[in-house]
Amino acid sequence: MSTARDVMAERFPTIRPDAPITEAIKLLETASEEEGRRVFGLMVTNDEGRLVGIISMYDILILIRPKHAHIWGTIDDMDVSGLLEAACERARSIRVSDIMTTDVISVTPDTSIMVILDLMIKKHVRRVPVVEGDNIRGIVYLSDLFRHISGELTRECAALRQE
Amino acid sequence: MSVTAKKSTLSGVSVREAMRMEVIRLPADAPIHKAIRLLIKYKIGALLVTDEADVPTGVVSKSEIVAAYYASLPLDSPLEHIMARPPIFCRAEDSLESALETMRSTGVYRLFVCEGGREELTGVLAYPDIVGLLYGFCRNCEKSLVNRRKAQELDEGTTRLRVRDVMTPSVVSVPEHATLAEIMEALSVYRFGAMLILDAQAIPCGVVSKTDLILAYGRGFPLEETAGSILMSRRVVSCHQDEFVEDTIRKMVFSEVRRVFVHDGDPGEVKGVFSLSDAVRVRSGSCRACVASRI
Repeated sequence: MSTARDVMAERFPTIRPDAPITEAIKLLETASEEEGRRVFGLMVTNDEGRLVGIISMYDILILIRPKHAHIWGTIDDMDVSGLLEAACERARSIRVSDIMTTDVISVTPDTSIMVILDLMIKKHVRRVPVVEGDNIRGIVYLSDLFRHISGELTRECAALRQE
Repeated sequence: MSVTAKKSTLSGVSVREAMRMEVIRLPADAPIHKAIRLLIKYKIGALLVTDEADVPTGVVSKSEIVAAYYASLPLDSPLEHIMARPPIFCRAEDSLESALETMRSTGVYRLFVCEGGREELTGVLAYPDIVGLLYGFCRNCEKSLVNRRKAQELDEGTTRLRVRDVMTPSVVSVPEHATLAEIMEALSVYRFGAMLILDAQAIPCGVVSKTDLILAYGRGFPLEETAGSILMSRRVVSCHQDEFVEDTIRKMVFSEVRRVFVHDGDPGEVKGVFSLSDAVRVRSGSCRACVASRI
């Protein structure tokens, strides 16, 4: 049975908790370019390199969401220009540690991919850090897990067709 | 039902129409730092605390967190140590008037909403949600400022409420070198949500709100830190005292602040404060002529 070790990405960006969220956004962009895929989440590590949280694109979007959208959302003739700029202006002073998720579900390199699959579905997460002791070994992305599983699935189909 | 209530256009309005469906909650043993992150991220004033069986047992608002900061509680203290209890409920089918009355009699700013005869929690109703509903109502009114402007009938200005009519005509401020502990003391004495900060020339240079204070707590700032060092921006949201209430409410909605500082032409000289709760207090969206919108 495959384990986290077989599907995890071993190159992963990390960010410090006191970094401003604008830095997290830049890092998501550069990581996406380097890895050739969209990276939407970053592991947050302290001075000792230990995992202390995760910040995702979704955390940042929740922060930017207008507080009173339910008020003007129904008023169609209201001038909402400048709203996004104002929200971004306010968000600039927010640090990664202010909004990151600290309940991080992690697995070990030996955790079975079926257990990881179950975890991701149950907890609504798309990425799971792989940790051994105090050290981060990698990260499992839902997309990689799917690719691994779909490889198995289609091989089975191809074998059936040949029979 | 009183005569005024019968006339009220909003009197048929139920809690359901103003409430929000999203209820942010945490278990009673969750640490304070986690509550801070949720309040900041979701831009809410309070969250619901539940026990092991997911039954609501208390509420933690920014005020409870500021009090914990003042008492120097460790950030990993459980919410059950600081929460206010019990949470106050209303029903989705209740009228807004009765919900407001519950808020008034219990002295809380938000109610948690249950559906019908069931215990199931379906939403939360807070002060700004009611202001929002009123605001939307006023905008749709044919007498509204916007519709008047469209019809180019601005001569009605004299009957409309201006900020000076409803503002609190005094302001409490602290100097930039005041400590966070001193700001918290002042906020608690005056029961304010934010404090105007003055620079060495006594010119307003920023605002420290409860949101700024809980951010500072989460980031580990000591209580001896000065106001100046945690100022998020050197900007004070202000308005002229002759502005229409309607325009100023719009400004608050957009700037995501609960209060604006009022001046008489010189923003350096603040005359008063106009808050979202003042807007609820006058209990008309914006228009003196409009008795109907009073709830």
